[in-house]
Amino acid sequence: MSFPLISLVLATLLAGTVATFAAGRFARWVALGTSIAFLAEVALLLLAFPGWPGYSSAAIPGFAESETYAWIRLSWMHIDYAVGVDGISLVFILLTAILQIATVVYSWGEEQRPGAYFGLVLLTCLGCFGVFVALDVLLFFLFWEAVLVPMFFLIGFWGGPNRRYAALKFFVYTHVASIVMLVGLLALVFYSGASSFDFSSIYAAARGLGPVTQTFLFLALFFGFGVKFPIVPFHTWLPDAHVEAPTGGSVLLAGLLLKLGGYGLIRWAVEVLPSGLHTAQPILYFVAFLSIIWGSVLSLSQRDLKRLVAYSSINHMGIVLLAIALDSSLGLLAAVLLMFAHGIVSGLLFMTAGSVHHTYGTRDIASLGGITPRTPALSTMIMVGSLASLGLPALISFPAEFTALLATWNGLAYWVFIPLGILVVTAGFYIWMMQRVLFGPPKGIPLEAHEVPWYEGVGMGLLVVLTVLFGILPSLLVNVIVSSPVKGFPGT
Amino acid sequence: MDVGTFAGPFLPEIFLLAGALLIFLLDVLNVRRNELVGAIAVAGILLALVFVVADLGFAPLAALATIPSGQIDVVPTGTPLYTFTSLGLVFQGIFLSAALLVSLASLSRPSNERGASIFYGLLLIATLGMVLVAIASDLIFLLLAIEVSSIATYLLVAYTRRDPRSLEAAMKFYIIGALSTVLSFFGASLLYGAYGTTNLVAIAAARGAVGFPVLILLGYGFLIAGLAFKATLVPFHAWAVDVYDGAPTDVTSFLAGGSKKVGIFAFFLVFLAPVLFVRTAAAGVPFTTGSVALGPVLQITLSVIAVLTMTLGNVLALLQKEMKRMLAYSSISQAGYMLIGIAVGTSPALAGATLQVFAHVFMKGGAFLVVAGVTALGVGPLIEDYRGLGVRKPLLGLAFGLMLLSLAGVPLTIGFVSKFVLFSAAVEAKGYFVWLAVAGLLNSALSVFYYARVLKVMFFDQPAPRAGPVGAIVGGSEPARLPVGGLGYGRAAAIALAVIVILAFGVYPQLILGPIQSAAQHFVSVGL
Repeated sequence: MSFPLISLVLATLLAGTVATFAAGRFARWVALGTSIAFLAEVALLLLAFPGWPGYSSAAIPGFAESETYAWIRLSWMHIDYAVGVDGISLVFILLTAILQIATVVYSWGEEQRPGAYFGLVLLTCLGCFGVFVALDVLLFFLFWEAVLVPMFFLIGFWGGPNRRYAALKFFVYTHVASIVMLVGLLALVFYSGASSFDFSSIYAAARGLGPVTQTFLFLALFFGFGVKFPIVPFHTWLPDAHVEAPTGGSVLLAGLLLKLGGYGLIRWAVEVLPSGLHTAQPILYFVAFLSIIWGSVLSLSQRDLKRLVAYSSINHMGIVLLAIALDSSLGLLAAVLLMFAHGIVSGLLFMTAGSVHHTYGTRDIASLGGITPRTPALSTMIMVGSLASLGLPALISFPAEFTALLATWNGLAYWVFIPLGILVVTAGFYIWMMQRVLFGPPKGIPLEAHEVPWYEGVGMGLLVVLTVLFGILPSLLVNVIVSSPVKGFPGT
Repeated sequence: MDVGTFAGPFLPEIFLLAGALLIFLLDVLNVRRNELVGAIAVAGILLALVFVVADLGFAPLAALATIPSGQIDVVPTGTPLYTFTSLGLVFQGIFLSAALLVSLASLSRPSNERGASIFYGLLLIATLGMVLVAIASDLIFLLLAIEVSSIATYLLVAYTRRDPRSLEAAMKFYIIGALSTVLSFFGASLLYGAYGTTNLVAIAAARGAVGFPVLILLGYGFLIAGLAFKATLVPFHAWAVDVYDGAPTDVTSFLAGGSKKVGIFAFFLVFLAPVLFVRTAAAGVPFTTGSVALGPVLQITLSVIAVLTMTLGNVLALLQKEMKRMLAYSSISQAGYMLIGIAVGTSPALAGATLQVFAHVFMKGGAFLVVAGVTALGVGPLIEDYRGLGVRKPLLGLAFGLMLLSLAGVPLTIGFVSKFVLFSAAVEAKGYFVWLAVAGLLNSALSVFYYARVLKVMFFDQPAPRAGPVGAIVGGSEPARLPVGGLGYGRAAAIALAVIVILAFGVYPQLILGPIQSAAQHFVSVGL
């Protein structure tokens, strides 16, 4: 397709971000306008995609929409501005657009420096979008780092009492990891002898690497991407960052930033270094099971609603890692579906936790009880989010988790009982939490507590609708994902 | 050979010398118009720069190229004192840019201030010495050229003759400089003992075939020490902070942005041949001392020095409370990055290091120029004193912030591009150089903290309650009001130039990387 749609989206987001920073009091309107334009452009991208009617030709093999312009040309280093989407990245782009607009609407009442706040939210989403479309190592790294800075400021300025510590920890952990990732990517380029920093040439050249080199490169990349996942034992930045971050920051952190790790691992390591994945598989299984068990055990002992969701995120991302490690097409499909589902559901849960905090002045599970009569709408959203998170059929997580368990059964047979058993435990805990917070005897309810403001309701409602929609029609996503020509997907 | 043919390639040097002589002549004739003297200096530097750029093959200026194509980037015959290489010309351009920035900024000085003639004259002489370094192909020529620029810079540090701190700095600079000269010449004499020549071309041709391994090792060892003083490498760095701190800040800008790069280029010149011959061992006899290959020893030594310099500079910069000292330590750590280029010794690494040197002129030189301007506005020397500067003077704050971000290696600035090229070149060389890249990257991560702290102070902290209006100097008379926010046109232009370069080459680096890359390739193939 000759029309540079992806660059147009980038330009829209960039212009919107700059305008939002400058808009002061009107920042929320500019941010909303940008988000709507972004969503519309993503819809265009979807319409022009094989999963939908109107498929168009591709310049880079495997990427339906792609643009390449020369950027740096040296004898030993070819760097392009190369962007493109395939089915997998498109799903993540859709997630970005959805979470951006939901976050902007949910945070409508932000009074503290709204220009900077909404600008940083848009900048985070811009960086995530860039990561999902970049097909060049340098460009990918630029966007990857571009996500870090606005999130650092979101946590550091609008966060809770311990925000400085949390922001610094977040920055140090993820920055060190991205340095390892960069060295891994550079080594991938130079050891494979790829003719350029472009994804397609790296992809082709990496086939010639020996298994030992592939394994080392894979492990370096796995560490780099894994800290963003986050994998145990490099997960400790996540609960701190979540607890201290403002609600909008938490939503983007759980919904998008964690997905960067999963997407990066799939795109730049799993696809490119198949025998590296094969050799490293035991390590990945071990880390995945560790994350699943550890995340779930720790979430059992949490009293803070946000911490609960944060630890269950570690558990869910552990299942994602397990699905990726299976090295099968079903596993890959499950991983992408799970990440999309987790993005929506954890976004929803963090929003509800934020609303509980605004309304009742606390997120402490033990000091809350029977809030349903006072805030029926908020309770409904908490219920939908929790039920989706524990994998109730007809909600978005069910098809994803079912696929993941099926793929695990195919690949690992009886080991499937570990994630299955853990799922039961988490389900039990979510139900227990709902029972205490939503239905128990009224407790800790201030007199002035009333239903959430409209914008928070609309923000959460959007995610609730999508939770149900994609729960009933997962095929919408599956068709897009399997159009990617990787891992034995049918392709187009 | 007629005079024109002979003198043509030396036009840049001639312009610099003529400018300096003219300035001194005017001073003797008691013409002390600072604007006139400054204009002469700027014009001399600009003319020199134009001819250098023309000789580099910049198409629009091709008609002005004076070096015949047969004399550039070819393996010289015989044992000439000087050789024209593209990389040398690039470095000439870099040195001239540093001098241009400083002389532009100094145009803002009050027209009745004393010492302008001395300042500009010495600046031109120092630049002349540096420009000569860039064409040297003989150790003695190289060390003498360094001496020319060094003596001029010792005097520059003390040119005000009033401030005791400057005098102390100049004294320290002079003593350390003399020591470094002695070490370098001693190293050169040892090499002469081993090779029977001080010519770099002849040394490169002789390779290891002469015996005397101890002499050669000692000779190179002393040269590393002597040149490391110039390039502010650990453990020969300690003087730099006091001198940078004590010197008039415009002079500091020249020292950090220009003069110390002489040491870096001297490292390129002296160590490329021995390092290179192990990398292309198949093409010829490896560079050995007896049975030991010299190249790997040098490479490991230089790598260790590079890592130490980066790390120590960064860690100490983290601890500083004064702006100039913080920038001085960061300048030391940047020298460590540049040394990676010669430690790796491939043409990509040389290109990366050269770009890093180029970037440093505008980032660090520019930052010191801002500091000088800000100090003249009455802001104190501590980092804390910059509180609220970004709000009070948004444009200046943004420019300073951009320079610091570029120093930290934040994307879309030239500082990022240079580090990216340098570190990817280290990874490209494979082997243990990958760890050199890791060390460099971790150090850049570390450096983010102290640069970010300045940004925080400038933009987020509340300004301190001020006793007097901005522009008042405590205990002094009200300074002359200057246009462009109190900076003056010259300084504003210099800062704007630095900002434009940082951004333009940061977003589209191909413009500068292309020439540097081909220059580095030629340099390696000449293998001087």
